[in-house]
Amino acid sequence: MEPTAHTGDGKRVLCIEDEHFISELYTRALTKAGYTVDVQLNGREGLKAAQTDTYDIILLDIMIPSITGIEVLNTLRDTTKTPKLHAKIVITTNLEQREEVRAKIESQADGYIVKAEITPRELVDFLSHIEA
Amino acid sequence: MSYFQSFIRQFRARLFVVILLNNVLILGDWYIVDQVVKLTGWWSFIAIFTVPLLTLGLIPWLSTSMLTQPTKFLWQAIMHLAPGTASEVGAPKPEELHLGRELVTNLINQLYQLTSVMHGMEQANVKAAQDLHANFIAGSLPLPLIVLDKDDMIVFTNEASAKYFNKPVNELVGQNVYTAVDMSFVSEDTLNGWLKSVKSTSVTADHSWERVRTALPGQEGGLQFDMAAHYNKDNPQGYEAILVLFDHTTMYSQDDQSLSFIALSVHELRTPLTLLRGYIEVFNEEIGPDLNEEMQRFMRQMDASAQQLAAFVDNILNVAKIEDNQLTLQLHEATWSDVIDTVINDMRLRAGVRGITIKTEIAADLPTAGADRYSIYEVLANLIDNAIKYSKDGDEITVSTTQNKDGVIETSVVDHGVGIDESILPHIFDKFYRNHRNRSQIGGTGLGLYLAKAIIEAHGGNIWVNSKVGKGSTFSFTVLPYSQIKGTDKAGDAPEMARSAHGWIKNHSFYRD
Repeated sequence: MEPTAHTGDGKRVLCIEDEHFISELYTRALTKAGYTVDVQLNGREGLKAAQTDTYDIILLDIMIPSITGIEVLNTLRDTTKTPKLHAKIVITTNLEQREEVRAKIESQADGYIVKAEITPRELVDFLSHIEA
Repeated sequence: MSYFQSFIRQFRARLFVVILLNNVLILGDWYIVDQVVKLTGWWSFIAIFTVPLLTLGLIPWLSTSMLTQPTKFLWQAIMHLAPGTASEVGAPKPEELHLGRELVTNLINQLYQLTSVMHGMEQANVKAAQDLHANFIAGSLPLPLIVLDKDDMIVFTNEASAKYFNKPVNELVGQNVYTAVDMSFVSEDTLNGWLKSVKSTSVTADHSWERVRTALPGQEGGLQFDMAAHYNKDNPQGYEAILVLFDHTTMYSQDDQSLSFIALSVHELRTPLTLLRGYIEVFNEEIGPDLNEEMQRFMRQMDASAQQLAAFVDNILNVAKIEDNQLTLQLHEATWSDVIDTVINDMRLRAGVRGITIKTEIAADLPTAGADRYSIYEVLANLIDNAIKYSKDGDEITVSTTQNKDGVIETSVVDHGVGIDESILPHIFDKFYRNHRNRSQIGGTGLGLYLAKAIIEAHGGNIWVNSKVGKGSTFSFTVLPYSQIKGTDKAGDAPEMARSAHGWIKNHSFYRD
């Protein structure tokens, strides 16, 4: 396999993910591609980080402790609670949703990824498309 | 009263005249017999008494006929108005009456008025009875019933609906239906949307919805029902829309549970799979180039197995969705040769590894197809993948497409491989059916053809196979030209979702809308 191009350019990624080994793999691949990555293990901390810090991309898992990714997404998209966000939000989940729920989530997010269907390197490729 | 007094006066006057006439006659008679003819003895007695005897008959006759004539006219009037005898007795003509004409005319008029009032009362009674029936039926209807006016306000609802929504009738009536009942629909086809469209286009219309929810999946305590609606523009009673609900809360939530069990299992399977694939990738990148050929082959095999497992997990979910009737495709206009080229380009590399070539024969002037690109991709990739698996090294596979005599687009994948035994052919599209002989040598989930069949049928097409052992197999399927599905409910109006040029963004399932 050819090495991944450095597309990150120091852009900041917030990875809200409770599965340590997954966030480790994602951090590794993203850092290699030139991104700076922060990891938050639960919804509440993740939301706080997203609201107080500036990120270019937020990777958001749905099944996470304290508050769910859907609540985080809703809060981030609610302009009365969060000022308009610069970051692109990409849902990264292995959870299967009912059609109507998934459609609602997808309409609010900038991307939706089933983690088992892509490798970390493919995630990096995906993010470069989202940004473009 | 004045009519009656004048009648009595007239009657008295006439009786007076008659009696006077009678007396004059008797006196005249006596005078003539006694003074003019001068009869005596028995003759005079007979002559004098003859006239009083005659007038004795005349007076009652005259008086009774005078008295009874108004009664006769009244009888006629009553009989004329009485139900059932109207045709037998003609309408009275009081103008022919001499005595008591005004009284009788007045009485007859009163009679006519009375009957018309009674007739009105009778009709009101009938209406009241009908209302009572309607209320009784609505009240005892075991299904929730909601009636809306033209502003979507609830104007009527029944006991069943009060019980169903656990709100008293008077809390529902007068409310906007969307406020009173929080309904969520599976698709864009909502009650609100339908009412809006029929109000502008139709006088009457009927519609039904499946699986309406009062709480979103995952929320507690929601109801789930099917709903039928009748719309009647400008209904005189103000009943513009009538909704009837069929409760399926228990049934649908069982579906939810069985699907959510599968969804949960899938989630648990996917997490270790994500890690496996991630680590394999890291190993490949970091130490892959340094490994000897055998180890590199093992590494590739490990990667392929992990991918296969991921695909299998997806397939399990897709099968569950098919069986839960959640297979919904969005058919868009697609250039068929492009669809085929995309798949073949992705498959060529895999075929090339075993020296197998893929030839395409695409007819010119094919119409555009109505296709859900992602699911059609899966179908074609599956058929070509099978063809590669069952071909001998160095074989040729042909993918051909024509518009057949029925006008539909027919695509065939032809291989010259091992072929399929006749005994297996009828079961080839069954779930988990595989030739056990090949099981150990050739991978696969046993779900591919089952899914392919479901997808093609959802496209309105057919899929079939011809095969001979030792000669090879031909899998064929049809899809409809876009012109045939345009405007039908199969055609999706949603914009096509983005897919990267690499074709690997699998942020879709077969069934997304």
